[in-house]
Amino acid sequence: MTRQEFISRLRAGLAGLPPTAIVELTDDYETHFADALAAGRSEAEVAASLGDPDRLARELRAEAGLKRWEADRNPSAAANAVFAVLGLGAIDLLVLFPVLLWVAGCLLGAFIAAVACFGVGAVLMVAGPFVIHGAPMAAVGLAGLGVMAGGTCLGAVATIVTIGSVNALVWYGRLHMNLLRPALENQGSNL
Amino acid sequence: MVEAVQVQLKKGVLELCVLALLSGGDAYGYALASRLAEGIGMGEGTIYPLMRRMQADGLVETYLVESQAGPSRKYYRLTQAGRARFEEQKTEWTAFSGAVNAILGGAQ
Repeated sequence: MTRQEFISRLRAGLAGLPPTAIVELTDDYETHFADALAAGRSEAEVAASLGDPDRLARELRAEAGLKRWEADRNPSAAANAVFAVLGLGAIDLLVLFPVLLWVAGCLLGAFIAAVACFGVGAVLMVAGPFVIHGAPMAAVGLAGLGVMAGGTCLGAVATIVTIGSVNALVWYGRLHMNLLRPALENQGSNL
Repeated sequence: MVEAVQVQLKKGVLELCVLALLSGGDAYGYALASRLAEGIGMGEGTIYPLMRRMQADGLVETYLVESQAGPSRKYYRLTQAGRARFEEQKTEWTAFSGAVNAILGGAQ
């Protein structure tokens, strides 16, 4: 692979990152090529030792996505981080996908249940004492308040579990970044 | 899983090696990459993502130096926090490798 090919594939792979970040990243590799050529190495040799530019771009993008999630924990950053890890392609999607869908489904269910409990509790507390006869008014009102509190609690637990799952996925993704694979292979051949 | 542990291990050691090289003087990307490639057999492309991460963590900072041939070079230098991190990690590494060596020595 020539220097031009390497850089243009890297740049294409980085599309979607802020323009300044793309320039900085490609500049690093441009300078690397220049220095290596000055040291008497061939373009093909340098490209080979740098590794696959597509793979490199995916990991640089994933790292940017994960950094964003660590900087501000909001739903869009979470979605970004999840897709960044999936985009790595390092995880066996066939294994992970059903698990991910199951976890996401459970969490969605929990959130809907939390909102529903909150709403039902609010109605019960406000309207219950006037509609339900034969029970003490205070008891019905307190029961409504209790259901609302339960809903809030469920929502909070679901939020904590969501953040925890995204963090686990991020950790797993980082573990599977392949930037160091060449290092391990080199070491293997030296031993 | 063994492979994943190895990757994590190398990542940790890599940061220590970069800190050590920079504690001996400022350096630019290619110099760091080739030192580490021949020293511990690290992939050359690895250095740039690592330097970005270390810069984001405030361990190193960069400055540009005009070069006679081609574009100006980006040099890396340790920050105060980077120096502190180096001392800390060096102590940890010395203690850890000493302990491992003691066990290896006892297993002869």
